[in-house]
Amino acid sequence: MNTHIYRVVIRSQISTGRLLALAGLSGVAILLAFVARAADDPVEVATRSMGTFGTNVFAPFIALALGSTALGNLVEDRTLVYVWLRPVPRHSVATAAFAAVLSVVGPIVVAVMTVAAAITGVDDLLVATAVATALAVFAYSGLFLALGLRFKRSLLIGLGYIAIWELLLSRLGDWFARLSVRSYPMSILSDATDVSMRLADRSTLASYIVPLAVGLAGLLYTSWRLSRTEID
Amino acid sequence: MSQAQTQTAPPPMVQAEGVSKWFGDLVAVSDVSFSIGAGVTALLGPNGAGKSTLLRMMCGLARPSNGSLTVLGKNPRADVAVLGRIGMAPQQESLLDYLSGREFVELAAQLHHVDNPVEAARRAIQTVELDPDDPRKLSTYSKGMRQRIKLAQAIVHDPLVIALDEPLTGLDPRQRREMIQLFHRLGSEGKCVIVSSHVLDEVERFGSRVLVIAQGRLAAEGDFREIRNLMDDRPLRISIRTDQPRALAIALLNRGVISGCRLEANNLVVVDTSDPTAFRRAVAPAARDQDASLLELRPLDDDLESVFRYLVGQ
Repeated sequence: MNTHIYRVVIRSQISTGRLLALAGLSGVAILLAFVARAADDPVEVATRSMGTFGTNVFAPFIALALGSTALGNLVEDRTLVYVWLRPVPRHSVATAAFAAVLSVVGPIVVAVMTVAAAITGVDDLLVATAVATALAVFAYSGLFLALGLRFKRSLLIGLGYIAIWELLLSRLGDWFARLSVRSYPMSILSDATDVSMRLADRSTLASYIVPLAVGLAGLLYTSWRLSRTEID
Repeated sequence: MSQAQTQTAPPPMVQAEGVSKWFGDLVAVSDVSFSIGAGVTALLGPNGAGKSTLLRMMCGLARPSNGSLTVLGKNPRADVAVLGRIGMAPQQESLLDYLSGREFVELAAQLHHVDNPVEAARRAIQTVELDPDDPRKLSTYSKGMRQRIKLAQAIVHDPLVIALDEPLTGLDPRQRREMIQLFHRLGSEGKCVIVSSHVLDEVERFGSRVLVIAQGRLAAEGDFREIRNLMDDRPLRISIRTDQPRALAIALLNRGVISGCRLEANNLVVVDTSDPTAFRRAVAPAARDQDASLLELRPLDDDLESVFRYLVGQ
């Protein structure tokens, strides 16, 4: 990994709009946690809240906002040339960008969701939320990093992917659900509290392996794409 | 070592052999071959001629669709290491606007593994006459400053091959003069400096070897003076306003300096000449002989595009 590129990507990611979005979504997570704590069946409500909001909304949207722009912005404003012209292996550029996205999205989303899980008072949910959110962040960050490099309107395409594929088509049947990233971290939450949720019936092993594989596949594609792409 | 070996010319630093580049149906560069050594070489051509595409291929940013292009004997597209010997200032104005000028150039030095990136960045920024201690972000830089900081990042690692795409755009006359001097200094240090431009007079001041690119083809190549002469001697269509257009046209035809003419309204005659130099010498005496007043002489195809079109046809 190239630390200079890592630092530049980190700097490019920090903007007022993104910080406000992060703060807003964090606030919603905490609010939902208090609602779950006050519910008649806090275990079920908390599990559903953490699953529905944490892995279906918070992690993918923040990963999209930062992942798709990490290299995508460099492509769109035609500044990728200032990275490409250097004698730096392309996989090292991809790894630096991935690490930068993870190190911004990961700690914030995981920390906020873990605090939210703690607020619910459901002990079984604490570690499961941290792990499920971390895996969701890893998968979505890799996916959207690749998307940002591949497509010009990646933010729009990513939003379409989350809304249409992850939130809509994944409900059509088991095979669709298997191709939905969110079903895997949700299964971890479901396993931890024994609360049954739609889509959350993946095996324990698959729940851990698939998100990691998706994230790594995104990283590998990004490296490959970087070495093949022509720079404006 | 034999004398023949010692006198062998140094290998070219940039070599293109039958290079073509197309984007779908659009042919940007067509079967171009050349070799470039140390010194300043100008890449001259109108906008859209294929200059930037050639420079991009030289720096590994794009791959030729056909043919081969090597820099220092390596394929810049396949060999990442050779990029360490190349510096490029691309044409686009966009920069990493959230960095300061110093950070931007330092980043280039760091990615090129320069020993002391801070000092190298300071030197490069000073070379282009900017202030290395200026803390402002690049987003606040003027067009001229952006051009110069692009140049600084291109030279910070002391490359052997320097490709500069329209580097004088946005600079004032004094800065242009300074930059041209810098190009010559780099060239005299044994570096291969390739500067693209669509401005004929600008290239004249580079005063060096020129590759003329038009419509994606190498239209002419060689010393600038020879190419300038070739350009000056091309056939011209000239509009003449005179009080005696018919008499003047006949006189010019009789002197054999025009190949055709057309009388138009408002005392205008449009003439074609394949020998502009002879025409220029003959037109005033011919008018005097006919007691005609020359009111206006205007070349109709003296724009750069027509110059290049002519060279392509040669």
